[in-house]
This record gives sequence, C-alpha cells and structure tokens, in this order.
Amino acid sequence: MKKEQSMFKFIFTFPVLVYTFILILLPLLYILFLSFCKSDSYGGIIYTFTLSNYLNIFDITYIKMFIKSSLIAILATFICILISYPFALVLRTKSKHIQNLCTKLIMVPFLTNSLIRTYGWIILLRKNGIINTALINSGIIYTPLSLMYNRIGIIIGMVYTLLPFMLLPVCSSVLEIDNNIIEAAKDLGASKIQVFKNIILPQTLSGVFNGSLMVFMPAIGYFFITDILGGGKIMIIGNLIKNQFLTARNWPFGSAIAIFLIIITIILIKIYKRLGGKMDDLGGF
Amino acid sequence: MKKIIVLLIVLFIICGCSNENVKNEVNVLNWSSYIPYSIIDDFERETGIKVNYGTYSSNEELLAKISSSNEGVYDLIFPSDYMIDLMIGKDMIEKIDIKELENFKNINPMFLNQDFDKNNEYSLPFLAATSVIAVNRNNIKDEINSYNDLLNSKYKNNIVLIDDQRIIVGMSLLANNYDMNDIDKNHIEEGKKWLLKLNNNVKAFDSDSPKTFLITNEVDIGVIWNAEAIIAKNYNKNIEIVYPKDGFALSLDNYAIVKCSRNKKNAYKFIDYLLREDINKKITEEYPYINTTISGINMKTEELLNVLKNSTYVKNIGSSISLYDKVWAQIK
Amino acid sequence: MKNNFFKNLLLILVFIFLFLPIIVLIIYSFNSSQMNILFEGFTLKWYKELFNNTDLIESFINTFLVAISSTAISTIIGTISAYGLYKYDFPFKKIINGLIYIPIVIPEIVLGISLLSVYTLMKLELSLMTIILSHIAFSIPFVIVSVRTTLTKETITYEEAARDLGASNYRVFKDIVLPTIMPGVISGATLAFTLSLDDVVISYFTAGPGSNTLPLYIYSMIKTGITPDVNALTSIILIITFIILLSLVIIQSRKIRKEAI
Repeated sequence: MKKEQSMFKFIFTFPVLVYTFILILLPLLYILFLSFCKSDSYGGIIYTFTLSNYLNIFDITYIKMFIKSSLIAILATFICILISYPFALVLRTKSKHIQNLCTKLIMVPFLTNSLIRTYGWIILLRKNGIINTALINSGIIYTPLSLMYNRIGIIIGMVYTLLPFMLLPVCSSVLEIDNNIIEAAKDLGASKIQVFKNIILPQTLSGVFNGSLMVFMPAIGYFFITDILGGGKIMIIGNLIKNQFLTARNWPFGSAIAIFLIIITIILIKIYKRLGGKMDDLGGF
Repeated sequence: MKKIIVLLIVLFIICGCSNENVKNEVNVLNWSSYIPYSIIDDFERETGIKVNYGTYSSNEELLAKISSSNEGVYDLIFPSDYMIDLMIGKDMIEKIDIKELENFKNINPMFLNQDFDKNNEYSLPFLAATSVIAVNRNNIKDEINSYNDLLNSKYKNNIVLIDDQRIIVGMSLLANNYDMNDIDKNHIEEGKKWLLKLNNNVKAFDSDSPKTFLITNEVDIGVIWNAEAIIAKNYNKNIEIVYPKDGFALSLDNYAIVKCSRNKKNAYKFIDYLLREDINKKITEEYPYINTTISGINMKTEELLNVLKNSTYVKNIGSSISLYDKVWAQIK
Repeated sequence: MKNNFFKNLLLILVFIFLFLPIIVLIIYSFNSSQMNILFEGFTLKWYKELFNNTDLIESFINTFLVAISSTAISTIIGTISAYGLYKYDFPFKKIINGLIYIPIVIPEIVLGISLLSVYTLMKLELSLMTIILSHIAFSIPFVIVSVRTTLTKETITYEEAARDLGASNYRVFKDIVLPTIMPGVISGATLAFTLSLDDVVISYFTAGPGSNTLPLYIYSMIKTGITPDVNALTSIILIITFIILLSLVIIQSRKIRKEAI
C-alpha cells in the first residue's frame, strides 16, 4: 500500500517538476541572464553585468509609451467588460439549450487564423470598405469615416481578438449564480438594484477580474494588431519588445522589458489576491 | 544559478562542424514572397534534391534564427548587404567557391564587388530593391521629386511609408542633406523633427503590403520598395514611380552559405539553378525586384546606372542604432 | 415583450460582431481576383486550386498534427499535474505554483527565442517535434489552471470516502476524480488546441527547416497578399468545426432534456 502510494505520488508530481524546470525555469533564467548583459555593436551579447537595461526602461520616451500602451489596453479591457457583462446577464434569462449553444458559438471565431480574421476587418473598415460603402449608399454619411489606421482600428481589433477571453469567464461566473438565492432575496423584498449589488456583483467579480487580466496582458503585447489595424502609427509595449529582438538587435534590453512585464503581472496578481480572488480562477474557463 | 549560467555560456561557445548530411536535401531560408513555389518544385523534380524551404521577413529575424540554432541546421540563406557584413564579422557564413557555379558568368558585374563584401568572397548578388516615391497621378498633380515635397499640408493622411526604422529615419536624414547612415546625435534630432512634421500626412506605416494602400485609393503617395510600386502600377497605370533627388536606399539581397552547412553541394546546385537564364527571369516576372543577372535584366541600363549612383546601402551602425530606435518610439 | 426584444438584440449584435470578419472571409473565398483587395466576381476555382497546392495541404496537415499531439500530451500532463499540485506536498511546490503562470503572461517572441536557445543548448534537432514541444510548453499552464478550478473540497471528501471503502488509488482517480474534473479538462484541452492552431511567433522560432505550419505559411504570404485558396481552406475548416460544435450542442441538449425528465 505504502509503495503504491508513493509511486502514485511520483506519477502525479514528477512530470510537473520536469516540465517546470526545463520548459519554464530554464528559458526564464536565460532571459533574466540576458537582461543583465550588454549588447555589442554587432547585435551580439557581451557577458558582463550591467543594470543599464533596466535603467533604460525608465527613459521618458519609453515611460510615455508604456502609459499610452496601458491606456489602450485598459480601454479595450473596459469595452470587453461592457459587452460581456450585459451579454452574460441576458444569457442567464435564456434556456439551458440556448446557453449551451451560445457559449459554444463564442469559440468558433477562435478556431480560425487570427491573421486572416484581422484581414477580414481590413476589408470591412477601409476607406472604401464594406461598412463605409454601406453607410454612404444608405445616405447616413457623405464622407467615409476613418475606422482604421488610428486608435479606433486598434481598439476594434483588440476588443475583437480578446473578447472571448472576457466573455467565457464572465459568462461562466454569471451563469453559475444559484437562482434560488436571487428568488429568496426577491421574496424578502430586495429591489432589482439591491439584488444586483449584493448578490450578482460580488459573485461575479472574480470572473471579471480574471477576464480583465487575460485581456489586459495580451492587449499590451499583441503587436500585429497595431501593425495591421493601427497602420503601424502607434507603438505598444509588444512592438517595442519585438523591435529590440528583430530590429535594434538589442536582446538584453528586450529581455529587461519582458522581465519588467512579468513583474507587473505578479503585482497585478497580488492585487487580485488581496481583493479576495482565487488564484486558480486565472485562465480557467 | 551560477553553475547554470556557466553551463549556458560554455555550451554557447562550443562548436565545430559535423559531417556531411547523408540525406539528399538542402535547407533554405529565404525572404517571404521571393521565389515562386513552382520554381522550387521544378528544381526538386529536376535534381531529386528535397528543398526544405522556410521564410523570414527581416534580416534580424534571420540572424536570430541562425545564431540561436545548432550549427549546420541551415545551408542557404539570403541576407541583405549590411547583414552580410555583420555575418562575416560574426563568422557565420562560409566562403563561396565560384568554381562550383556554372552560371556565375550570368551575374551582372555591376552588382559585384560591393562595399560590404569587396571581392565577393562570401556572397553573390540575388535580387535588389530601391526605395522610391510612388504617386497616384489621378489625384495628385503637383510636382514631386524630393522628400521635402511630401511635407505639403495638402497631403494630410495621404501617405503610406515602409514600416522600417532604418529606411524612414534614413529618409529624414537624406531630406536634411545628411548621409542615410548618419549617427550624429544632432543630425538625427533634426531628422526626428522633420519626421514629426511629416507625421501629420502619414496615414500608415506598412512593410507587408503598402501597395494595397495605393491600389485601393486609401492613399495617393507612398515611400515604398520599387517592386511594390511596380505591382501597384500594374493595377493603376497612373501611378508614377519617382526616384527622389535627395537620394534613396538600395537593398541588395545575396546568396550566402551558412557556416558548417551539411549540404554544401546541394546549396551550390540550388544557387546555380536560380542563376540560370530562364529561371532567373521567371523570378523577377513574378516578383518585380531588380534582376542582377545579365540575361534577366529588367531595367534600362541608363536607369540602372542612375539607381546605382544615387542610392545608398543601409549600413551596420552598431550600437548607434539605439538612437534610431528612440526616434522611432517618439514618432509613433 | 419590448424588453425581450432588446435583450435578444444584444445577443445578436455580439454575435454579429464576432462573426462579421469571418463571413467576409468566406465571401472572399469565392472572389475571382487573385488579390484579397476588391471583390471582382464569383468563382469556385480556389477550392479546386486548394487541392493542387501541395505546400498548403502539407502545412495544413502539419498544423493539425502539431495541434492534436500537443493538445493530447499537454492535457494529460496538465491534468495529472493539477491533481498532483492540489493533493500532494512536494519540494518546490510553491515555486512551481508561481512559475506556471509565466508562459501565460510572457510575450510570445521572448518565449520563442528563449525556447530556441534551450533546444540549442540541449542539442535538439529542430523539427516538427520541437514545435510540438514548444506548444506543449505554453499549453500546459492553461490546462493546469482550468482543471484546478474544477478541483474542490468536495472532490477530496468523496475521494476519502471511497478510499475508506477500500477503493484503490487507481480506481479513486478514474471513477471519482476524473469525472468531476472533466469539464475543466475539456475546456483546458479546447484552449490548448485553439492556441496551438493559431500560433505563429513561437512556431517560427522553434520550427526546423521545412516544417511549415499553416499560420507560418500564411505569415509568409502577407507581403504578396493572402491568396484566396487560403481563404477557401479556412472556410472549409470553419464549416467542419461549426458542424462538430453544433452536433456537440445537440447531443448535450438531449442530455439536458433527459435529465429534466
């Protein structure tokens, strides 16, 4: 019995140990190591210790960009919440069949190539694209709207690409609320607002935060959206990191920004925990 | 921790070429959209050599991939001018033996013995491209022959630029009568101010397919690669291609064999095949870059001479690139 | 009534938003123009052409090979690990709990380059295998995290009860634990699968010569423009997944109905 126990324990713990050390820790150490190195004029790496990469992050140019990038990501996250929350509340009132169908349908766009989807948006949003043509032909507007190659395009692209990451956790947390509790509250004379404030909101907050993190983190990193729908006119942190690796040949600086991002994430997760969120909800749909 | 780092360093330094590959194949990394897939299929059928073909979209992507891979993973690559210089410096590419190439004589001597590889010891020219101004004459009637003409406030939101910091910051330097590879802080600062002025007129930066902007009438002016401009012109005859009088960038992509290549013979065979008269012609018919062979020449000699005289290569500027990088972050 | 109308409108609008670009893409797969720019006329030729494009078909097969094997492996390891992390105490457990979130938040390009360096360090030959390994690397955290949400205190209670009644470890895991965490396993697997299907950056760096996947193939086309046969292929994939999902929904609906009775 004892032997079997310990073998069981071994089977259930050994793979994750191996995985974490080889495929997470080793790459991470490599980046951490790079972030303290210097880059030579040929884009190679000089193995001497320096903190200059981290100090470089706090250059006013980059700070400005971090703020701009964060604002775009916050706006995208906020719009995702504004769409997902009412969507989930409405879905709650529907039958189980429809709930089931809708949560599955959300996944369908996910299964196509994101690059191709983004190209679909170009065809829609261009100056003489489908949306502008339709609006002009129906007499609603006279001159085409600028729907892309600006912030609007980036926000549309971000919200579109990341919406499922918000919809799924928010829906699952809203749909999980026990109807009996709400009925009981109503029976005791609670108003609609009170029900929302005291029952629905607290129970769904973790879903919303969970979704927010899953939207926010990619939204500062998804450089292909700013490149394609933003017309490359606005840089986000993702573009900056990509540039360090693939244009400026400054891997140490790129690594330092990546480590900086990881630290920010850890801080966000700490805040989330302090707000009473369960760690395990993150990323789990 | 320390041990791991030491181990990392040691393993990165250790190298040494292993033996020839037994499989009849060649591993090629090339720019995306540069050789029609049909040509590769024909080569495979003709020679029985399997071509494992991969693509990249910037020189630095190539550098990252080669420098982080094991030795001998790749055989044939197509780096541009300054990357050849850099790769020679880092001992990443082999010397080329022209005796292996029957069709060497087909190479246009105008493209040989360039600064980055004086005697073509390590590289041979494949295709070239220049940055040009493309103007849709249906909508723009003004005279445009220099970068400063683009500052006209009439062209608000009407310009597309290549999304490449060296070309665009280089353009701002040329517009201010400096060298395209200038690394003087003050000159670059002037360039930045110029770019901030131009920024109002810029609709987008795009290095993937800026021609689309011109074809769909999204914009009327573009600073783009000449091949892109030619394709756009095929769609719209009224697109004019202008070589700016302040100078422009020339990019020459080259055949190069990776150090420790395990399929050298096959790599030579593939180069030789691409240098063949009929094959070379086919490539530039599909992708209208500047052909660098004698038989496939697709530009009038006069025009070619003008291009070679007034253009500048992007050069490796070492750590000064961080200056360009910062300007880039500021204008975006 | 009016209220209901607005509620339905909201649902419909969200779905229109989600599906709009995909509908455009399907329409453009019938476009006679070579370039994905203007719609010039109806044709079916791209669907025919698709089957002659061996590179495209090969990359398509590679993509599914990678997606299926990496999903299978990462789901198994992820599920086992989630249970192990939940149930047992072992060295480095705290560190592992923190580290597994890193692949979720780290920029892809950084993960791609660092994984490539690790493979080079281990002298692994780059091939489809290294792509699969990398996809496993970034999928496992998603599986672990989504399985964990379904592991609750009740699972442990049932487990102990079963063990008291003399069930073996194996039986306990198979008959008690697995059924309760199944929804988490399935959603983790779905996530892993979709992430693998769409990955460009990490695949780019960890791919060996000649091991092209569909996203890499598409990425290599963006300069000349994505040809309509890619649209055609995507449309076919979409319709197949749509049918699979729909039949899943119908099966589940029947189940729900039965349970209701």
